[in-house]
Amino acid sequence: MTLEIDRVTKRFGRTVALDQLAFGVPEGMIFGFLGANGAGKTTTMRICLGILRADEGEVRWGGVPSTDLPRRTFGYLPEERGLYPRLTVIDQLVYFASLYGERPDQARADALGWLDRFRIPDLADRRAEELSKGNQQKVQFIAAILHAPDVLLMDEPFTGLDPVNLALLRDAFIELRDAGRTIVFSTHQMEIAEALCESLVIVDHGRIVAGGTLAELKRSSRARTVRLGIEGEIAPTWLGSIDGVAALRPGAGFAEIELMAGVEPRDILAATLERGALVSRFEVAEPSLEAIFVELVGRPSDDGEEAVDEEDAA
Amino acid sequence: MARHDPLFPNAGTVARREYSERVRSRLYRISTIVLMALAVGVAMTPIVLRAFDQANVHRIRVVAQEDRLAQGIMATAEGVMNLPPPGVDRRRWKAPYEIVRETDRSYAMRELADGQIDAIIEVVRQPDGQLAVTYRTLGPADGVRSQLAGFAALSLGILDWTASLPKGSELGAFRTPSFTTESLVAPTEGGRQVDAVVVASRGFLGTVFIILMFITILIYGMWVATGVATEKSSRVMELMISAASPRQLLVGKVVGIGGAGLTQYVAIAVPVMLVLAFQDQIAGAILGAGQAGLPTGGLTIGLIAAYGVFFLLGFALFALIYAAVGSFVSRPDDLQTLSLPLSLIAMAGYLRPARVARGRRGDAGSDRLPGTAVQSVRDACPTHGQRRASAGGRSLGRDPARDDRGGGRRHGADLRDRRVAIRPATRVPPVHRRGAPSRLTPRPRPRAATG
Repeated sequence: MTLEIDRVTKRFGRTVALDQLAFGVPEGMIFGFLGANGAGKTTTMRICLGILRADEGEVRWGGVPSTDLPRRTFGYLPEERGLYPRLTVIDQLVYFASLYGERPDQARADALGWLDRFRIPDLADRRAEELSKGNQQKVQFIAAILHAPDVLLMDEPFTGLDPVNLALLRDAFIELRDAGRTIVFSTHQMEIAEALCESLVIVDHGRIVAGGTLAELKRSSRARTVRLGIEGEIAPTWLGSIDGVAALRPGAGFAEIELMAGVEPRDILAATLERGALVSRFEVAEPSLEAIFVELVGRPSDDGEEAVDEEDAA
Repeated sequence: MARHDPLFPNAGTVARREYSERVRSRLYRISTIVLMALAVGVAMTPIVLRAFDQANVHRIRVVAQEDRLAQGIMATAEGVMNLPPPGVDRRRWKAPYEIVRETDRSYAMRELADGQIDAIIEVVRQPDGQLAVTYRTLGPADGVRSQLAGFAALSLGILDWTASLPKGSELGAFRTPSFTTESLVAPTEGGRQVDAVVVASRGFLGTVFIILMFITILIYGMWVATGVATEKSSRVMELMISAASPRQLLVGKVVGIGGAGLTQYVAIAVPVMLVLAFQDQIAGAILGAGQAGLPTGGLTIGLIAAYGVFFLLGFALFALIYAAVGSFVSRPDDLQTLSLPLSLIAMAGYLRPARVARGRRGDAGSDRLPGTAVQSVRDACPTHGQRRASAGGRSLGRDPARDDRGGGRRHGADLRDRRVAIRPATRVPPVHRRGAPSRLTPRPRPRAATG
């Protein structure tokens, strides 16, 4: 089984949110769906769920159009978290699961199990409005998976979680993947994508700009990173002034330098030595996902304010 | 969309949640208690009003030129109107009417106009010897009181006639006095005239029910709109819409909130029905032993059931409109802007039946809703004209037969001026003299006529 996004186009007025978007996600995979704000990630997920209708193209799971599939095929964690503020945690979890056709007693048992896993068993009888944002998010996550959907669509599941909760959620992702679930998630946090995704796509303005396994993506990237250590200098900021340096990030005892296109690592080394610095470390590193993202999208992952807000356009 | 989304069980799941959320809310509980108290108060109103009525003494002035007529009408009116109900201690009982003669007619009229007195009974002997008795009142058209005055007038007529007979003479024909109730609003029901109290009571009841329905539909409709808007603003909608179809969500919401409304309605209706069922006992406790509760005319099980049906239909209509409106806004606050035009729609629906129930002046055949009790009752009798009923003992009572002519009454009358005229001089025997003997045995006792 494969989740196929088949040349999906969606327009909101004159804005083209998705432009012939096409990719496939094999069953049992954690798949990263990256893009700047307004790139079309949420729109794609909504079309998968049938909340929005595609103007052209369709989404299929196992060859069946998603609009023909039972609703419980999909589990959805919306980017905008939403729970009934007055309802207790356990009541809403059971409620959502029953809408998907789960038996209430079974849903209750499963929900309590998950709350326990997420270390919040004592919150079961609390009202949602009393919960912290992170805990609400965990409850929201449980609501999305309680009916054991085949495909999980998670819109920014890791935003706003502290490292401990982040680790809990990451373990849950891997466990669900091992249980055969297919997980598509969007994120702005490149380290998480790098740590979790086997495959990913990067979208920009409704089009795919890159896709494939993480290794493929890194190989195809023109972005080069050089790690340079200089004796006696903890933060050699002057390296930023060398020609051909696109970005400079301070590291622990070294500086990470992103190279401009067409610049070779040895040019940088030569320029550094020319200035009389004592180079203690020189290393050509694999580009980070973030570097690839910036290279492809042309701006940092969280700099998308000028992008079209899908809802406003709708 | 090809996806198959049967209405159930999801609509039921949604409805259950909506229902329990409303019923558990504090606002719901408080409003139920307040409305319950109001409704019981309304149901008790007739009894309470009578308690006040009982405490009041109605001052009636008798105006007549002849002493004999004045004495006669005072005596008969006293006998008819100040009759203690059976089973009441006569020593503790206070006469409800103070009947006093007033020789100065214009003074009496001024007093009536000023509200110093409640009514004037005027007896005038016309040149042909006929007696004309007029009952003038400022108060509401009180059918009971004017009928009592009618009894008194009749008795006076008989007294006057018997007194005028020469001693030891053969009895002439007793000419039944004609009894005319001239009312420009005379609703009938199945050809039978409906008592003014019952009419007023029904009008009151109709207004109460219409207002109750208006308020509840508006409130519950607003609950639906707020519910939809809240789900949108709290972003639950995004999750809900992927879990259930819009149709399931809408039906569930309307049914759930409507169910909560119906629960509230039942909670209000049950104590009211209890009050009605035990009104005699309640009246006895408040007004003293032997008093039957005056029924709130027209408040029947059927009416309450009909209200339930209309509530359901009206709520279903407005709930769907409100849900649609709720889905247009993204925050509950924005609903305020839209609630005015919505209220106007509901207002239009409210004003029409309210007008009909209140009754109007004039006789325009248009602008009527069918099926409203008072209105259709009026429509049933399109002929206009004065009517006479015989003043025989039985026909002065609540004999349904006396109004079987299809009462020609004009609508929109001022109920204040009811005239009761007795015309013994009528030569032609009245057509409607059911049960009234054309000849009486000598010396009929006046009381017998009051039956």
